[in-house]
Amino acid sequence: MRYDIIIIGGGLAGVTAGLQLHKAGKRCLIISEGLSLHKTPKDEYIAAGGAFLPGDSVISGEWDGNALKAVRTRNLEGTRLEADHFILASGKFFSRGLVATMDAVIEPVFGCDVEFDSCRDKWYNDDFYAVQPFERFGVKPTEDGRVFIGGVPAANLWAAGEILAGETDIEQSALKIVSILVK
Amino acid sequence: MASQEYDVIIIGGGITGAGTARDCALRGLRTLLIERHDLAAGATGRNHGLLHSGARYAVTDSESAAECIRENTILRKIASNCVEETDGLFISLPEDDIEYRKTFIESCQRAGIKAEAIDPKDAIRMEPAVNPDIIGAVKVPDASVDPFRLTTANVLDATVHGAEVMTYSEVTGFIEENGRIVGVTVRNHRSGELSEMRSAVTVNAAGIWGHAIAELAGISIGMYPAKGSLLIFGHRVNRMVINRCRKPANADILVPGDVVCVIGTTSTKVPFEDCDDIRVTADEVNLLLEEGCKLAPSISHTRVLRAYAGVRPLVASDEDPTGRSISRGIVLLDHETRDGLPGLITITGGKLTSYRLMAEQATDLVCSKLGNVKKCETALRPLPGSEEEVGISRQSDSLGRKAAGNRHGARVFQMDFADKSEVVCECEHVTRAEIEYAIKFLDVHNLIDLRRRTRIGMGTCQGSFCMLRVATVLAQALGCPEKASEFVRQYVEERWKGLTPVCWGEGIREMEFMRKQYGK
Repeated sequence: MRYDIIIIGGGLAGVTAGLQLHKAGKRCLIISEGLSLHKTPKDEYIAAGGAFLPGDSVISGEWDGNALKAVRTRNLEGTRLEADHFILASGKFFSRGLVATMDAVIEPVFGCDVEFDSCRDKWYNDDFYAVQPFERFGVKPTEDGRVFIGGVPAANLWAAGEILAGETDIEQSALKIVSILVK
Repeated sequence: MASQEYDVIIIGGGITGAGTARDCALRGLRTLLIERHDLAAGATGRNHGLLHSGARYAVTDSESAAECIRENTILRKIASNCVEETDGLFISLPEDDIEYRKTFIESCQRAGIKAEAIDPKDAIRMEPAVNPDIIGAVKVPDASVDPFRLTTANVLDATVHGAEVMTYSEVTGFIEENGRIVGVTVRNHRSGELSEMRSAVTVNAAGIWGHAIAELAGISIGMYPAKGSLLIFGHRVNRMVINRCRKPANADILVPGDVVCVIGTTSTKVPFEDCDDIRVTADEVNLLLEEGCKLAPSISHTRVLRAYAGVRPLVASDEDPTGRSISRGIVLLDHETRDGLPGLITITGGKLTSYRLMAEQATDLVCSKLGNVKKCETALRPLPGSEEEVGISRQSDSLGRKAAGNRHGARVFQMDFADKSEVVCECEHVTRAEIEYAIKFLDVHNLIDLRRRTRIGMGTCQGSFCMLRVATVLAQALGCPEKASEFVRQYVEERWKGLTPVCWGEGIREMEFMRKQYGK
């Protein structure tokens, strides 16, 4: 199955990117593991004919050098889902875009480089109401928004939304990648 | 300033103070129990919940061991509703000295503890969660005890027999007349009111905080604050208590309780000023997990629900960097003979398992000072909830009623389930009926108190899903609906403290969710 762009994650970043890319004439697939709480852009995307795969999650990628060729999902394991570009919008810990072990934070699907503090005692703030350091952990992308894997920038895997390190404007981070991909 | 007169004032609403209040009340004394925070808020609620057989101390501290097995036997009878008779295993691993087992069994037998060597294969059959590499095992009568339930039951019985209880009330000083302690000044933290409470005898049963209480009277009792950290897992992997058959060390006891299990402890000396806000470090968590996996390997992939720590009220005898070699025996100080200050005694040291004996010894001393000759009855009289069997719950009983029967024993008959059987906390099946019962009988002022009385929010969601609903129901039932959001704030902050040391895996997911739900 071939698409122009596959978006991993059906949260605000994923559906925002999907809707705009679809409107720009790109054939998109959004793969969404959980509930999409952002019903309006999601419904609009689907109503406009965008492809949406609910209740499924990407389990592996197929690479050619630093270019991602295809992904496979848990439910459609036999199917290669190919695309020219991929957007990683799988969120932080709650949505399992990031996984914390006892001493590291990883991006579980592609092994993207993640920024985090190496000392676990510094992952949190004792004050519940303060911004938590772990809420700032995430993928640190290239200037234009592509992920690093083992220090090397991927050619066509982009990151948007909460998976990004630092303070993120979710919609803006998605629209930034849209503007590059529709050029 | 308001002033009232009692025979005895007991400072500290932990298990020791609660037990002492019950004993004093049963002997007919006009009794007042004063607690700075809530019942069981200190070391009482921050331990394994292990009803020791005494085996752990048999080799190193035979006096404590003998005390433990006597009290263990008594509590199974008088507090059947708080105790689960799990039995315990002391396991030897390949790196342990198997010869120690012989000394261990002999020491247990000398202390009157039934200790039975078990073939490793039989031990694994008995307790499938145990490390399959064991080279030896000894079965002992350890059990699991719910310290919140036990404290509540003691306080409830004390009040039934006329005792008065003041929670959220802090002793700010002693009243001294003619060289004698004749009472205390108390600040009520809820009303801000200061009052005088007078008594013939005052009992300092404040655990590690007893050090500061004694200082208020100008006395030093040389306590040794030994912090012990523990981890609680999201579900129960073991049926029996699992211990390591070696000299007591770090993280060598895994205790099941209700639907969870607890690994602990560490032991480090901490400054007195830290005792009010004790936190578990990442290093301690790592050590607990590493050692805990040697007892039951499956805990390595069981979710850690939270971490907590308590401070043992040990009395220092010599310099010992960990406090492991200080006796866990009971320390009863008569400040009249020890320091020339009549009217004040201190009961400390000891253990959760030996609380009743501590209370008996303290009450005996109080009675001897008051000329009261009534004998102690606490070893014979069942605690509220344990007087009669609840009976096998009927198939038609609601889950909430079954859960309440498990928690409160025969007291479930005092709950009114008509129209109030709706479940408010799904993890622990706490109903509106149980909440209303707790408010009526068990001195509940906020959500954290309610958690200690009913296990509300103690399950796998840690209150994330039910907190708002529970806070609303509680605030309405207390007649102060405006307090609901304050209850939530207190509760979230308390839960956060337990979550931060285990901020990985499912724990960090929980934290992110909690922040999104309640953090803004």
